[in-house]
Amino acid sequence: MATAPQNETRIVYGILMANLVAIVLVGAGKYLVTYLEGYETGNGSGIFIFSSFIIVPIIMGAISAWYWHPLQLKTRAYIGWSAVSTLIACLASFIFLKEGVICLLIVSPLMLVFTVTGALLARMVYNRKNNTLNSSLVGFVLLVLLADTFSSHKNLQLVSDTLIVNAPIEKVWPHVVEYKPITSKENYWLFKIGMPSPVQSTVDGYEAGAGRKCIFSNGYVFDEKMVVFKPNDELTFDIISQPHDPEIMGHIDIVRGQFILKNNGDGTTTVIGNSWYKLYVFPGWYFNLWSESITRNVHLRVMEHIKILSEQDV
Amino acid sequence: MFDWVVKNVGFLKHVPLLPHIFDASLKVISLLYNKNLPDYIDEIENEVRAWPTTTVQAHKFGGIQFNINNREVGHIHSNGLLDILLSREQKALLMQQYPIEDHHVFKNSGWISFWIKTAADKQIAVELLRCSYDLKQGC
Repeated sequence: MATAPQNETRIVYGILMANLVAIVLVGAGKYLVTYLEGYETGNGSGIFIFSSFIIVPIIMGAISAWYWHPLQLKTRAYIGWSAVSTLIACLASFIFLKEGVICLLIVSPLMLVFTVTGALLARMVYNRKNNTLNSSLVGFVLLVLLADTFSSHKNLQLVSDTLIVNAPIEKVWPHVVEYKPITSKENYWLFKIGMPSPVQSTVDGYEAGAGRKCIFSNGYVFDEKMVVFKPNDELTFDIISQPHDPEIMGHIDIVRGQFILKNNGDGTTTVIGNSWYKLYVFPGWYFNLWSESITRNVHLRVMEHIKILSEQDV
Repeated sequence: MFDWVVKNVGFLKHVPLLPHIFDASLKVISLLYNKNLPDYIDEIENEVRAWPTTTVQAHKFGGIQFNINNREVGHIHSNGLLDILLSREQKALLMQQYPIEDHHVFKNSGWISFWIKTAADKQIAVELLRCSYDLKQGC
């Protein structure tokens, strides 16, 4: 039977070794995948494959359980210490990988669940002392890690939103092209806790090829180039540079934005806002939930502002 | 949530590891609404594990499974749902004695389900597993 100091040592070792292996796997995987994909993310941050958030936490849990299983800890303790391990992994990502706080907030529930999965499954496996099963599981996990590293990671997404404005199209169009600062209160919870929200848009010309700037609440600026400029009809712009923010860098590229106006024939206008972005964090199904929600709320904040300004002009 | 997942995306249970990930989520979530539940399940596991020739393994659809001579005695999902396979006669008999339900998926079968929520439920779960253990040991 292990003594109390020995117990504490095994618990700490379980956390430290798990995090050490995770740093090596995530670091190696990130740069290998970026190299294999053959395209730049613009800042050298690389691509986070789904293994970084799924398989690596499972491996982390399994490594921790290796140290913890002789201690006969309760399930509740496994979950608690796995949460500590996840917290340390997030802290290490913040310090060494320069990850943003909101990104880590988004990814932490996913990491916790997978770390707990790894720890509890591994505890059961170690307690059974079944070497054939152990080898099969380790083999399966490594196979998924390798298959994911060497498979394609391209994820282009479109988010589209529609809003009816009670104003004729010619009153709406000028505010679509550029708009005065948004002063209304934030409604979206991520904006409330510090994620930058759109504030103002300015242009340096009224034709295709002219520049446009989208300014965010923390002063960040997205530089855009208008590629389609059809008054009272369509404004499409490509994003030519985006801020070097840890919440964005290497995770998402906003590629293109678009506003389409439709005359409803009754003095109202339908405004359609479209955004295209490339995601560099996987699994796409999970991170798309977040990026879609954020993009949608950026759209709605701008489109509702356009609605207020246009309706004031009527 | 559990019922919705089983009904609508239950087919995903065949994807390797996915049921175990779902079960780990249940375990973490269960701590939010019944912090004692993981302890009850641990205590049941310790009790059943002590019965002669019993083995414990991960259930293929998530949770822990108890076996005797390679036959399943029963399994517990991490939201506290105990499932046991009996014959229809044994099920009818036990339904008169315990607050058990038809299985949450296979209603017209020998499977039974029982929700573990309290310390008293834990005791009932052990008794139900013991019934199943005794029946399967005798076969």
